[in-house]
Amino acid sequence: MKLLMNLVYILIFPGLLFSSVFGLWLAGIDRKILARMQKRVGPPVMQPTYDFFKLMGKETIIPDNAARSTFLLAPYIGLASLIVTVLFIPIAGIQAFGGVADIVVILYLLTIPSLAIMFGGSASGSPFAGVGVSRTMVAIMSYELPLILIMLAVGRLAGRGFDMGITFSLEKIAQYQAANGPNLFCWSMIPAAVAMLFVIPCEVGAQPFDVGEAETEICEGPLVEYSGTPLAIFKLSHAIKMFVMTLLFTALFLGGISTGMLWLDVVIVLGICAVVTLVCMTLAHAITARLKVEQMFRLFWTVIAGLALLSLILVWIGI
Amino acid sequence: MIQHFPILSIMVLFLGAFLVVLVGRSRIARTAVVSAAVLTSFALMVALIKPVMIDGQIISYWMGNWAPVSGYAIGIGIEVDALSLFFGLLVSLAVMLSGFYSFKYITQDDSPDLFFTLYLMLAGGVMGIVLSGDLFNIFVMLEVMTFAAVALTAFRSWNPNAREAAFKYLVVGSLGSTFVLLGTALVYGQCHTLNLAQISGLLSVNGINPTMTFAFALLFTGFGVKAFMTPFHPIAADAHAAAPSSVSVLISGVFTKTGVYGIIRVSYFLFKSMGMSSMQTGLVFIGCVSMFVCVTMALNQHDFKRLLAFHSISQIGYILTSLGLCSAIGIAGGLYHAINHTLFKGLLFLTAGAVLYATGTTKLEKLGGLARRMPQTAALFMVGAFSISGIPPFNGFVSKWMIYQAAYEKAAETGSIGYAFVTVIAVVTSVLTLASFVKVGQSVFFGELPVELENVKETPLSMRIPMWIMAALCLLTGVLPGLMQQYIINPAVRATLDYKGYIDAMMGEGYAAAHLADTVPLAEAKYTFAGAWDPAFWLVLFVIVLLGVTVAMMIGKSGRGAATAIADDKHDTFFGGEKNTFSQVGGGDLFWGFKYNFRRYLNVMGNAHSGVVNDYVTWGVIDLALIIVYCFIFM
Repeated sequence: MKLLMNLVYILIFPGLLFSSVFGLWLAGIDRKILARMQKRVGPPVMQPTYDFFKLMGKETIIPDNAARSTFLLAPYIGLASLIVTVLFIPIAGIQAFGGVADIVVILYLLTIPSLAIMFGGSASGSPFAGVGVSRTMVAIMSYELPLILIMLAVGRLAGRGFDMGITFSLEKIAQYQAANGPNLFCWSMIPAAVAMLFVIPCEVGAQPFDVGEAETEICEGPLVEYSGTPLAIFKLSHAIKMFVMTLLFTALFLGGISTGMLWLDVVIVLGICAVVTLVCMTLAHAITARLKVEQMFRLFWTVIAGLALLSLILVWIGI
Repeated sequence: MIQHFPILSIMVLFLGAFLVVLVGRSRIARTAVVSAAVLTSFALMVALIKPVMIDGQIISYWMGNWAPVSGYAIGIGIEVDALSLFFGLLVSLAVMLSGFYSFKYITQDDSPDLFFTLYLMLAGGVMGIVLSGDLFNIFVMLEVMTFAAVALTAFRSWNPNAREAAFKYLVVGSLGSTFVLLGTALVYGQCHTLNLAQISGLLSVNGINPTMTFAFALLFTGFGVKAFMTPFHPIAADAHAAAPSSVSVLISGVFTKTGVYGIIRVSYFLFKSMGMSSMQTGLVFIGCVSMFVCVTMALNQHDFKRLLAFHSISQIGYILTSLGLCSAIGIAGGLYHAINHTLFKGLLFLTAGAVLYATGTTKLEKLGGLARRMPQTAALFMVGAFSISGIPPFNGFVSKWMIYQAAYEKAAETGSIGYAFVTVIAVVTSVLTLASFVKVGQSVFFGELPVELENVKETPLSMRIPMWIMAALCLLTGVLPGLMQQYIINPAVRATLDYKGYIDAMMGEGYAAAHLADTVPLAEAKYTFAGAWDPAFWLVLFVIVLLGVTVAMMIGKSGRGAATAIADDKHDTFFGGEKNTFSQVGGGDLFWGFKYNFRRYLNVMGNAHSGVVNDYVTWGVIDLALIIVYCFIFM
């Protein structure tokens, strides 16, 4: 029975099936609302799903220059590690596998999908991919500093609530929020939450931080040689990444909202995910243009890291 | 019986060295002698795991049976506690694997018999240091090791860079040895003994007077030179780039560990200075500087092996930092990282050696696309790169994760936010490490294959096997941290904090109790984690999901024919309509966004690393002066 339950977790909720469907739905909403903001009709909400199935049916072309096995394996590894990451983040009090991973682990697990894109692109042998790899890596360097500061701030806040000084455990953070209300309503956490709203699009690679895949400059960079099923997987990973990052936001800042009904809690969490997507990705996409690589890096290591640092210091002195 | 094992494991290596000179002309005899020596040494170390690590014995052995006379140790003692054995295991493992790799690797050079003589001398010297219980003996072995390493650096003496690197190494290495010798002389003058255990006991009785403070600063800096801590790191970069790869494995994985080992012995055992928060801050500071400076230097390198050399020191920075935290989890993290560093750095140097063996160059600009010609080497490189960058579930992550926690817990414990930034610097260093290995991956193994490298072949099997063993160990130590902690790390942590047991084992029961009236309290050897991480669990989930995804894709694909193999231009690389010339992106062209923002810093650092040995010696002396001043103010 336990085995069956675990398989349900892994393959259906909140694992493979659910995160794929919801991720693609989020991507669809993003595109639809973006279009409405730009006074276009926009594609149907299901469009990313249709795209996914269409790409699945297309021929997979492997360039002669490519290192075949890395080129073909990379998308699967990226997708699988993303889905495993979902299993470690609590959703409305449900944590599929509690006590096996903490926030630092999540921080590192989130680099694997980007690594998969980078090594996959790199293996294609295209110079466009080379530029894309370089830019994607700079994006990772950019957001990693603010992200660790945010996580340390949250870890300190929750840890102090448990008399442990600090905690890295997502479970403890969820419990702390259930007892003391969401972290977002704590004054000292607001700068960190704002910083996190910038980190999400950067990690996902959404405009204005989509330097790595910049379609108009470097033809989707690392994805330039991909086609067919591997490309479909990368597109799916991108959609799921939106879901994972917004879910992480809820886990860190808006956890512990409980109405007593499980299904309602889950719906609320998903609603929050959609709203966060809307605020930090769709809105930002509609009103900004792509930043240059060096501008993005400077923004993250000064302003955004500064916000996160402010939170950390405020938490530390006990406000 | 077992008390003879440590001295035997040192002796077989030296014996092997002398035998190789005699019979080394013949390839078979040479291979047999070297294999026998390194295998015996490793086997003896493994045989000690049960009594020392698990049963907690401390092995003491007086050379020539010169036992202490009226309370004074006059003979040379060998003392093996769990900490010594820990380093002994690392050393003998790296020596063994790298030795096997060398058999084939070194065939491209002249006089392999001389190579293996020096190789075994180096190995024996290192084993002598980590197993010895005598300060002067440590110095002698340090000299044996340093000169063997210098000679090996210059082994490819047709290469002017090798000669230059060896010269620099000789000068700065001697500087370090001088510090150690001077420190040893001062300690001997004060304590009238050279036995580590007795010095430790006597120093607790007599207290630390200014002479001893001076001696501490000298010994600490001297061992720091051996660990190549900043500002001694430029020597390592030159030496690694010029030395044969299997020697780089020893210099990086083993030689630097003796420095770390020396620092632990000096500051935890002899002077017990780690109980003082000022000394902790000092070591953490040095560690953080080494970590960050070297990783930024590495990002700027254009040579595979130089880049690895800088990373090597950057990882030593992690080890020093976490040892400086002086909490049980910090020491555990540091020692764990020491194992991992030997494994992944060894693996990476061996892959660099494989690339050099196959192509004749390690310049990033001249390489590219090798994954198609050397798929196994590329896979091995990726294992090493993921391990050093701390990508779960490889081993680098486990130890880094422990170090982050140790630093942040220290911050919570002492209430000083400064230690939180240690965690931040460590994480940033980790991502920069990842960046430079992405650079190597893109420049060497992926991207376009230059025309000159069309005929490159995969390295021979005898070179790949040691690499595969190292890669497997990288994964195993990453997936089974529980076992590692239980059997290898925790005993060593306990030994690090238990200097009383160390003294008693050597000087007789009750010696410590008589001499250690009130000592500086050190942390308990127990630790809990602030978070949770179960890599085996992750791996299982990952495999299930991967299978699920693959099956789903297979179903989605069924009913469609395989891709046609007609040669047409659709399998070419997309160039946007430009002419298809060699347009590899790699080497210095990557990470412009980062480098542009750090251009001033990188310029300053680039100019500072002038390559002039006079500058490096000046830095070294200034560093010593600063450490002496720091010790006099705070100790």
